[in-house]
Amino acid sequence: MPCGKRGRETEKNRAAELRPPVGAGAIDRMAKEKILIVDDSEMNRAILADMLDDQYEILEAEDGLQAVAALQKQGANISLVLLDIVMPRMDGFGVLEIMNQNGWIDEIPVITVSAESSSTQVQRAYELGVTDFIMRPFDVFIVRRRVVNTLLLYAKQKQLIGMVEQQIYEKEQRSNQMIDILSHIVEFRNGESGLHILHVRRLTEFLLRKIRQRTDRYPLTDADISTISVVSALHDIGKIAIDEAILNKPGRLTDEEFAVMKTHSLVGAEMLQSIPRWGDGEKVLKTAYEICRWHHERWDGRGYPDGLKGDDIPISAQIVALADVYDALTSKRVYKPAFSHEKAIEMITGGECGAFNPLLLECLSTYSEELRDVLARDESESSTATRDVRSAADALMQTSGAGVSQRTLRLLDYERMKHNFFAAMTEEIQFEFTVSPPMLTLSPWGAKKLRLEEIIMSPKENDALQQVLGPGGWDDVGRALRATTPEHPEYTCERQVRCAGELRWHRIIARSVWSQDDPPVFQGALGKAIDIEADKAEREDLVRRATRDPLTGLLNRVSFIERISHRMWEYPESHFALAEVDIDDFKEVNDTNGHMFGDEVLHELAMHMKNSVRSSDICCRAGGEEFFFFLQYNTDIERTIDRIFHSLCFQYKDWPITVSVGVALGEDVGLSYEALYRAADQALYVAKGSGKNQYRFYDPSMEGVATDTNGQGERSAP
Amino acid sequence: MTLKECYTALGGDYEDVLGRLRSERLVQKFVLKFLDDGSYGLLCDSFAAGNWEEAFRAAHTIKGMCQNLSFTGLGASSHALTEALRGGKKPGAEELLEQVKADYAATAEAIRAYQAEL
Repeated sequence: MPCGKRGRETEKNRAAELRPPVGAGAIDRMAKEKILIVDDSEMNRAILADMLDDQYEILEAEDGLQAVAALQKQGANISLVLLDIVMPRMDGFGVLEIMNQNGWIDEIPVITVSAESSSTQVQRAYELGVTDFIMRPFDVFIVRRRVVNTLLLYAKQKQLIGMVEQQIYEKEQRSNQMIDILSHIVEFRNGESGLHILHVRRLTEFLLRKIRQRTDRYPLTDADISTISVVSALHDIGKIAIDEAILNKPGRLTDEEFAVMKTHSLVGAEMLQSIPRWGDGEKVLKTAYEICRWHHERWDGRGYPDGLKGDDIPISAQIVALADVYDALTSKRVYKPAFSHEKAIEMITGGECGAFNPLLLECLSTYSEELRDVLARDESESSTATRDVRSAADALMQTSGAGVSQRTLRLLDYERMKHNFFAAMTEEIQFEFTVSPPMLTLSPWGAKKLRLEEIIMSPKENDALQQVLGPGGWDDVGRALRATTPEHPEYTCERQVRCAGELRWHRIIARSVWSQDDPPVFQGALGKAIDIEADKAEREDLVRRATRDPLTGLLNRVSFIERISHRMWEYPESHFALAEVDIDDFKEVNDTNGHMFGDEVLHELAMHMKNSVRSSDICCRAGGEEFFFFLQYNTDIERTIDRIFHSLCFQYKDWPITVSVGVALGEDVGLSYEALYRAADQALYVAKGSGKNQYRFYDPSMEGVATDTNGQGERSAP
Repeated sequence: MTLKECYTALGGDYEDVLGRLRSERLVQKFVLKFLDDGSYGLLCDSFAAGNWEEAFRAAHTIKGMCQNLSFTGLGASSHALTEALRGGKKPGAEELLEQVKADYAATAEAIRAYQAEL
């Protein structure tokens, strides 16, 4: 069972990593402890600082917002907060509320410093978790004594929490290990694949979560799900008492043998019943008992040993039974080959392998694909190891509850320090948003750049932020982030952001943060905004240069073809006309007046063309003196072409300019560029051949005229 | 003028402050700092502008400093004004402000006289 072993070793390493060295409480810390003094009066801060700065490192904040910012940045690095109540912008109660919302109050003791002595104020402060009060006027002796007392008290408490946590953790580890050992013995004896127990556990957990999502018929807490999944490993423990000859017999069992085999559920249950139980263990044993005894019952009442029917069978046993059957089907056994996932699902839902709760069958077929993926991941050894570590961590979280926040917070502190360091180093706008409390935190550099506060409470109502993001900007981004999922939390967009009064393009890269609940709840987001103004301008310039003819500003041939093909694809029912335009005797214009003049004529013609078509029509200079325009029309295309043709014949600096035009209609030749171009070119050829200065519509009789320079056009310009 | 005489002149309790702060150096440091604090100016301005909330906070700050420094006279009048401004202006606040102004002027005069002789 190599994967299981590896999993446990990794758990052990992780546990060692997480375990705080004994006595690493506040007392033993080498560095000076930090005290945050929050008071709007500089003199009051100075008096307190003077009383304390020989023994502690003093941080100061002028008001509640600054205090929150300092706490956000330093976290549990701050050992104590001395907090005034009456302050501008955010008062002491506001700070306490945020400390409660973020759980900081459990980590960082607060002593309130105030001249306020009304009992309702005092009571409110105590309710918000304040440890002690210091009344003005300050007395050096009292201030020092209270600070020392509070710090000692918290240090001792932290140590105690650590010790209790450790014991719970170790106990939990021990019982999980016992369950693993037991179930592996059974497995070994059964000659089952090593993965059976793991699969049943994974399947059980999967089905429990899905059924909870689908119905509230079974009240299942996260702890229930964890317990049932872990002890599902014990379902066949009774097989220990079954003769190995029967257990591993290839081929069908006789009726007598089967009768012996069937006793394993009752035997297992009895084994568990005889174990003395107390405290938390009771629930584990009760669940294990249910599973052992009833995992061969059937929904229709025809199972064994008790013939329970429907929901008289505990949901734990119902689900383990289904998981057991599924894994038996998909595994190779001495008496049968392995079936595919799809085949197994088909057999189970088809009623070939027993009678199950219809709700469970519904879950199984609805989430069949997801289930296959989950189990496929189990096959890969390395992921098994990581997942085992994760489930160990989950179990730890569950049993020690709030206590684990100690350990987690220490890691978080480290991460916070790392984050703050890098945030300060990079010149980037980094941000973090939490829904509760509604708070936007900006990196110091970012805040300076945007001229915003580092901490913005209720950002939705913040005017300065509105100015930066533009009207509706905050809501747009918020909506898009909420629309992401925990599986795909990434979000990128490009927006204009007001930086020091100037609108600049930024790329916002963010990810949403979700709770561990089922279904997950949106909790906020973090990300950064990168200034791409320069990139964007450059890119737009490149795009423009790549798609446009530099002389006239009309589209070039490649982008023209792209544009019209797309238009025709978009509106396949519309009428379209493609016209090819050629300036008559342009070589003479150039030769007589010079290339500069020639270029001016080309530019002028482009202007005439643009002015005589609608803005939705598409014009192009394909090269030399060859132009195209492309129209979408409803009625009377001849009149339109006639009008445009006349606008393209003009006098430029007393030099008469005329053109020849060939027109092809989509309804005649079909909606493809190639067909339209070929036909328009043919018509242009005919127009040129018929004496220029005219337009021609393509018709099939022009076919074959191409090589005939004296071709007779039938429809000439009036 | 000694620090003790200065306290007598501004109507403060020198024994009390020395008892709490335990060092003449500290008391002197903060007495001299008192005039740098902007709360008095803020009180007068926000009172004139009818911004009672800010006036309350300013009066409250002055009261807190007076308590810490044992400036009994100004402490009492700023305490009364604080209460008259808590949760909005109550009748009589104008008279109390005049009293605070008078006490502040006396306190400031005493501190300046003491400072001048240092």
